[in-house]
Amino acid sequence: MAQIELIGVSKTYRNHVAVRALGDVNLSITRGEFAAAVGPSGSGKTTLLNLIGAIDMPDNGVIRIAGLEVTSTAPGRLAEFRLRHLGFVFQSFNLFPVLSVLENLEFVPALRGTPKRERVERAEGLLADVGMIELRNKRPDELSGGQQQRVAVLRAILSEPDVVLADEPTANLDSENAALLLDMMERLNRERAITFLFSTHDPAVMNRARRLVRLKDGRIIADETRES
Amino acid sequence: MLFWQMAWRNVWRYRRRSLLTVLTIALGLSFDILMRAIGDGYHEQMVDNSVRAGIGHMEIHRSGYQRDPALLKTLPDLPLLERLVPQTPHLRGYSFRVLGDGLASTAENSSGVRIIGIDPGAERSVTTINRAVIAGKFLDDRMSRPALIGERLSQSLGARLNDKIVLMVQAADGSMGAQLFRVAGIFRSGSPDLDRGVVYLLRKDAQSLFSLGDGVSEAALLLDSSQSVAQARQFLGSRLASARVEVLPWYVVEPFLQQFIELDDAFFYIIVLILFIVISVGILNTVMMSVFERVREFGVMMALGTRPRQVVRLVMQESAVLALVGAVVGAVLGSASTILFAYTGIDLSSYAAGASVLGITTTVMRPTLTIRNLISSDLSVVLVVLLVALYPAFKAAALRPVEAIRHV
Repeated sequence: MAQIELIGVSKTYRNHVAVRALGDVNLSITRGEFAAAVGPSGSGKTTLLNLIGAIDMPDNGVIRIAGLEVTSTAPGRLAEFRLRHLGFVFQSFNLFPVLSVLENLEFVPALRGTPKRERVERAEGLLADVGMIELRNKRPDELSGGQQQRVAVLRAILSEPDVVLADEPTANLDSENAALLLDMMERLNRERAITFLFSTHDPAVMNRARRLVRLKDGRIIADETRES
Repeated sequence: MLFWQMAWRNVWRYRRRSLLTVLTIALGLSFDILMRAIGDGYHEQMVDNSVRAGIGHMEIHRSGYQRDPALLKTLPDLPLLERLVPQTPHLRGYSFRVLGDGLASTAENSSGVRIIGIDPGAERSVTTINRAVIAGKFLDDRMSRPALIGERLSQSLGARLNDKIVLMVQAADGSMGAQLFRVAGIFRSGSPDLDRGVVYLLRKDAQSLFSLGDGVSEAALLLDSSQSVAQARQFLGSRLASARVEVLPWYVVEPFLQQFIELDDAFFYIIVLILFIVISVGILNTVMMSVFERVREFGVMMALGTRPRQVVRLVMQESAVLALVGAVVGAVLGSASTILFAYTGIDLSSYAAGASVLGITTTVMRPTLTIRNLISSDLSVVLVVLLVALYPAFKAAALRPVEAIRHV
């Protein structure tokens, strides 16, 4: 059964001029996939992730994520849905600067009402698992860009969401840090069966993705599945 | 708890701006505390001066006397009152008096006066008029027909110490009473009305002058504080319900004083309102800036699943941190300055003439700090800050995550 399903989805941005970001997109992604939406700038990758992430709504079409039809869900319930089912990794890290690494990881479980002790144990366990435990008390501005982005990925997966959406996660990283990040995401995808969907035009990410959804001018022009 | 940590750290993330905001709140609050203390101090002083000038904290008259004072309206059932009044709770002193009007004359001049017949010993326990004597002596039962007159009356009549004055009145029986008295003392109370228009006599002399027999016009009671009036009034009111008397607190006897205090409080509240508006603008500016500088951060929070009400809560918690720190600093500053001024006093001698019109006869004013006012000021400022912060808090909660994340 599809974990992410888009049927006839269109989105046009209307500012001074109307810009069609996505047009009649149909897409189905199953649990545990490690997929990337790729294409040049303006192809609709970020719009696709925003719509799947339920932080934006399409003009037409239906989107179902983890069994919920988000396009017909009241806006007030979408925050709760994102909290329970989705994880986000943004292009420019976006850790909370006033919180330590450990506290940043605690943030989503805290929103979910997980008791302090349990969320600290889980966060420390995950940090230890990826060899970053010594960074637990550091603030984001004391970390390198690569470290920050890895913490952002850990934050996204700590509460074991169904889907992690990562918008150009390697865009601000050098190749070494990008490789480390991708290693970690691949491992988490394998070990925890969390679905990953990236938007990227980084060849390193494309090489790791087991499925490439190619976009151009807001339309899917190719959908390639590769053997891992 | 994590939200409180975030709130605390977010506040100190912009240290200089937050410190300035805290300082604004603290200075505004300390001004509020000091102004309230000054207001309370001089209101208390005005009440105390009026009370000690003669009216006492409470007066007992025959029913209807307050509305229409008349010589014949003497206190009924005097023995009952003489037995009951000394039992009044919180009582410090009481005096039964004769009150009437007449004409004071000397060979040089004459003037309309208020004649008050007193028992000197009892009067000392209620008023401070004995301490206002600047020439001669306060009245004494052993003197023969003594009169105590105000300094201004002495000047207008041309009556000096030991001079004779004639008091002419319409007596209770309708006859004209005229008797000769000797000026035993001259007082300066600071109150123009008293100094210009009052003559104190021994009570028995006044009763004789007005042909009142043993009748008295009123009982004045001094309590340990104006806070005790309600309890004392209830005590007497319940026991004198059928005695055809009225038990009146000072603010009924001197409604002008109470009205002045209320008017003064109203002006004070207008000043505080303006002050709070100024503080509010400062807070609004700080919180708005703090929100707009973190639009992207709020976008990320909401994308991660933070509900709008939790965003409101975070902004409100940040504002509460500012308010509480400002309230603590302000309370310390306000209390310290009030205690300092209470210790040194505020010298009003330059304004003595104007102050005496308001019933303030001392030239040094001392602010009064009360826990009630301290808490009320603190709560007011915290409430104002939180109310003001609601707007930016709801603005932050209304952000659309997709737009907020793109915000630069």
